[in-house]
Amino acid sequence: MSEPVVMMDYFMHLEYEEVVCPIVRRYADALMEGKILGQFSPKSGLVYVPPRSFCPVACEWLGEDNLVELEDRGVVTAFTVVTPVQYYGQEETEPFVKASVLLDGPGGMLSLQDILEIPPDEVRIGMRVEAVWLPPEERNQDEIGNRSWGSAAGAILGWRSTGEPDLPADTFTDKVY
Amino acid sequence: MSSHDIAIVGYAQSPSWERAELTEVQFLFPVIADAIAMANIDRRDIGFTCAGSCDYLSGQTFAFVSNLEAVGAWPPISESHVEMDGAWALYEAWVALQHGDIDVALAFGSGKSSPGDPMQIYPLQMDPYTLTPLGADPTSLAALQARALLDSGRITEREMAEVAARNRADAVGNPAAQVSGEVDVDALLATPYVTAPLRAHDLPPFSDGACAVIMATADKARELSDNPVWIRGIDHRIEIHQPGMRDLRESPSTAAAGKAAGVGDGPVDLAELSVAYTHQERILTGALGLGDGVKVNPSGGPLTANPMMATGLSRIAEAARAIQRGDGKRAVAHATSGQPLQQNLVCVLEGEK
Repeated sequence: MSEPVVMMDYFMHLEYEEVVCPIVRRYADALMEGKILGQFSPKSGLVYVPPRSFCPVACEWLGEDNLVELEDRGVVTAFTVVTPVQYYGQEETEPFVKASVLLDGPGGMLSLQDILEIPPDEVRIGMRVEAVWLPPEERNQDEIGNRSWGSAAGAILGWRSTGEPDLPADTFTDKVY
Repeated sequence: MSSHDIAIVGYAQSPSWERAELTEVQFLFPVIADAIAMANIDRRDIGFTCAGSCDYLSGQTFAFVSNLEAVGAWPPISESHVEMDGAWALYEAWVALQHGDIDVALAFGSGKSSPGDPMQIYPLQMDPYTLTPLGADPTSLAALQARALLDSGRITEREMAEVAARNRADAVGNPAAQVSGEVDVDALLATPYVTAPLRAHDLPPFSDGACAVIMATADKARELSDNPVWIRGIDHRIEIHQPGMRDLRESPSTAAAGKAAGVGDGPVDLAELSVAYTHQERILTGALGLGDGVKVNPSGGPLTANPMMATGLSRIAEAARAIQRGDGKRAVAHATSGQPLQQNLVCVLEGEK
């Protein structure tokens, strides 16, 4: 006699194909030339990187006129040490850092950035960093999408310490993300 | 139970794109701004915001949160979200207005279905044991419904094609329409079946798009608008999930919602119904008791513009627009959710002039 069914497997598979929006295409093309583009909101004074076509704080639509070229140097304002759990698809095995980098000059925050050349326990809030660009021939737009996580992957490998003195950490309490 | 009078004072719709270049929040932004401008209010006047959307469509986790950026959510606002068409967001906002502690509310619906395949995504909302593994997609379920209707002699394939032709002709000049134009019914009937007995014209487009509606309590509405559209009744009802346990030729939930919303309490000039499949017009007009004198889907309806998660709310906006334009005084708007016509919302609208 057959056993009653108590469990069944159903594997779900969904495919999505996304059109990268015009303003992020501009950003991605600029990255290939070694430039970081952001968008400045005159009403709120905030800079968005990648550009997103509007400022949610001032509720202001932003166009090409609002594009600004940003510095590729900045300061770590927040970070997380990720200790990888070996779930399916996890390729990392050792602890690593994802950091928020506030750019110099007009500003703009890139989040989820890799910090290179130093171990995770030496990363500090207030640490001065500079971008490590991939050579132009190795740059690609594969990771660029509309999801606005501040990705510069494919052009910027990560960020390394400039060796300059740290800035006071408590300067950045409103820049945690 | 008596309810407070609530009126629609602003609304806006995006175009319906087959594949929008902009992100969902980007195309929502001007829609919400336009609705606010029409209502003559400041964003800060909005006491409650409710959104309807579905993250599965665009495949973006927490897309419903980033959609709020189009509203302006700083400083923090009072808001809620339904994983449903924006018409149900409007219902929640209407309930919030009933409490009397706020006087203006915003409801919006938005969807970007083009990145994914709705025929893969929609089966996931069905019963996970018996229907999802079968790939019970909306077209197949609508085809079963159409077959039941045809077999019972309540409609013909020609009458279904006539619905498509009329909708497309009515959509000419509607800036929100994705499909429009004069078509010959015989030519439509000469085309092959997509899923028998449904041909391409029996099916809706899947559109990317958005709609926003602003409501106000009675005193506030009169202050803001010299031509508010009053919500005289609104109700929604649900049927059993399993389509095999329903008589698909009828829509008792629409009938019950229509009765509760007071559709039959006065003459109806026009109706904007969520007819996503041509044969459903017959089911819905029957359930709502709408006679031949009622103009159905003068905007062209969902067969010409079908922004997922905003199609139902767009019916309410289109009906309000038709009333304000003077095309009628009393209108019925209908939204649906689930497959096929499982859950239905009916709203009765009335103009002052």
